[in-house]
Amino acid sequence: MVKKSLVLMLAVVLSLAAFSGCGAAQNAEVAETQTQSQQVTEDVSTQSPETGEEVTLTYALWDSNQAVGLRKMADEFEAANPGIKIEIEVSTWSDYWTALEAAATGGDLPDVFWMHSNEIYRYASNGMLMDLTDMIANSDLVSMDNFPQGLVSIYNFEGKQYAVPKDYDTIGLWYNKTMFDEANLDYPDETWTWDDLYTAAKALTKADGSRYGFLAPLNNQEGYYNFVYQNGGTIITADKKSGYDDPKTIEAMEFYLSFVKDGLSPQEYGDAERATWLQNGLCAMGLFGSWNLSGFAANEYMAKNFDVTVLPSSNDGGRASIFNGLGNAIAYNCEHPEEAWKWVEYLGSKEGQLRQAELGIAISAYNGTAEDWVKSNTTFNIQCFIDMVDYAQIRPYSNTTAVWEDKAYEELKGAFTGDKTVEQACKDAAKVMNESLSQE
Amino acid sequence: MLRHTLKKRKYTKIIYNEWRWGYGMAAPTIIGLIILNIIPIFQTIYLSFFKSGDFGKGNIFVGFENYIKMFHDPQVWGATLNTILYTMIVVPVTLILAMIFAVLLNRKMRGKQIYRAIYFIPMAAAPAAITMVWKWLFNNNFGLINKLLSVFGLGAVDWINDPNVALISVAIIGIWSLVGYNMVLLLAGLQEIPKSYYEASSIDGAKPLRQFFFITLPLISPTLFFVIVTSVIQTMQVFDVIYMMVDVTSPAYDRVVSLVYLFYNNSFKYSNKGYGSAIVIFLLAIIMIITASQLKVQKKWVNYM
Repeated sequence: MVKKSLVLMLAVVLSLAAFSGCGAAQNAEVAETQTQSQQVTEDVSTQSPETGEEVTLTYALWDSNQAVGLRKMADEFEAANPGIKIEIEVSTWSDYWTALEAAATGGDLPDVFWMHSNEIYRYASNGMLMDLTDMIANSDLVSMDNFPQGLVSIYNFEGKQYAVPKDYDTIGLWYNKTMFDEANLDYPDETWTWDDLYTAAKALTKADGSRYGFLAPLNNQEGYYNFVYQNGGTIITADKKSGYDDPKTIEAMEFYLSFVKDGLSPQEYGDAERATWLQNGLCAMGLFGSWNLSGFAANEYMAKNFDVTVLPSSNDGGRASIFNGLGNAIAYNCEHPEEAWKWVEYLGSKEGQLRQAELGIAISAYNGTAEDWVKSNTTFNIQCFIDMVDYAQIRPYSNTTAVWEDKAYEELKGAFTGDKTVEQACKDAAKVMNESLSQE
Repeated sequence: MLRHTLKKRKYTKIIYNEWRWGYGMAAPTIIGLIILNIIPIFQTIYLSFFKSGDFGKGNIFVGFENYIKMFHDPQVWGATLNTILYTMIVVPVTLILAMIFAVLLNRKMRGKQIYRAIYFIPMAAAPAAITMVWKWLFNNNFGLINKLLSVFGLGAVDWINDPNVALISVAIIGIWSLVGYNMVLLLAGLQEIPKSYYEASSIDGAKPLRQFFFITLPLISPTLFFVIVTSVIQTMQVFDVIYMMVDVTSPAYDRVVSLVYLFYNNSFKYSNKGYGSAIVIFLLAIIMIITASQLKVQKKWVNYM
């Protein structure tokens, strides 16, 4: 009898624990960020804040490749500004936003952190970011005139500037030189059109399935978005409606998916797996963003065999490359706004932006610093990423980008598996996207 | 008379002392359970009646709207089916395997301890790390499993992205990680069975198989019952393996997404915490019903000594 009631009790307790598990996980996350920031405040409080002896700023970001170079910049900044310490916190892209949201809800945001076009609206409209407008106006080092207008406007909400542009990125066409040589084909260049891309992909594909000519994965920014805008289509219209049912968009998607249908591209749905096709010599060409540079240069096979060039134009000459840029933002309740601004100001100044370019961290957003970034890498011909800025298209975004991007993926994958026609998939994507947009 | 009252007073003092110590010792667990489990349950129920605003601000009361929306959402029903299917694959297979291993390891044999440790390792390893390893084993192009299949002249299987296969792949990982733990529990149950029963029955001429069905199985049924109840609850909440292996972009997503995964996506990715809460409360209701019926049915097959 004792045993029986024990089993019963355990079962009840376990099932209770089960339901609340999720809530607990959420709490744990908040708690984690809390302890992190507590550590910081403790560090600070042991010094005397009145005399401003030592302040530790947390700087949160999601790219471990860039963290190495940024640490170097932080060291130099610390040397030049005694009394300020920078603590860099790195996480992965998806963990970053989950943790940041939990931190924002608990009022414990990092002092300075990266912002992205997908999320800026939510953070700015809810007052989670410090308004930098006045600080920028009073600064000798930072001026919004020095940055491309498109990037500045991403982080401008209702006339107030909430982040200083940090860098930008474009998408390039990566190709395997060795495979082109073997097939006696000319390397892709700025004269290429969609037809050239298709013909080359066909010539490079091996019939036995051991090699594909081109990688057309289910990926928006490093995939079909580029083709859509080259063709004069759109993903989101000016009045916040889905552009997936635009005939020009559908036409571009038909072309993009023809690679998969005709067996010139594998079906690839994973994010991390995409690059492995190129890195193992299974695909001759693929679209990848400029932020992959250090990763690709570190891969022996790619460093030896690959190069990169501008994206081909559509057959009637339409050009586009998806363009996006990050910004540095400060938390609304940052305890050391002056010091935090000093760091953000340095990162956005000509000096800081040049240093970022020289170290090859990312393409600096500051006008005229791109050349230094190009010089930072000799493995690939990366000038093409700068050349594309003239006709680059800002990555489509609205107030809830993350939601409709996922919903669109769910509908579009049917076109890749062959369960749906491309037109049907695009119309379905437009429908779910419009539903999501209507709730913004 | 005097003696009697004295005795009584002493008695209550002892009881009072025992109570104090008992609750004192249990306090950390009780407080932990209340703060980390019980309060969040009620908060989740409360939140499921709201359309949640960003960063926990500006929640709007919407009554049963989240629930109505949920019952019209084919993805929720799909996820319910996936979750139940997953449980129906994982729990029986795990139990049979755990039982076999437990019986085999309950004999006198060389290296018994080492085997027990090996079977228990998956339980101690981090699920995320396990899944990453399995993900590469399952990989379509470079995976060890497909390489092995090709050695035997069999075609490659798209373990992760084929909608008809992915749930089985996920279940394989689930079974692999759960067998060891259940085996240890069953092993403990087996060791409680008196050896004399087996001796007596073999004198009467019972063969090992008959002994298993007429002595082992009835006497281990309380442990077995506990293992079934906890395994079902645990597998109904499957999340990490699927989350790590199958992304929203995968064609297999609709066929493997579990209720907790759907809860996670809605709560944290799409920041719709009210809807996410409704989904998780729905899961709570399902688990409650299953567990309650298990407690009812157990009278028919569980033998308490």
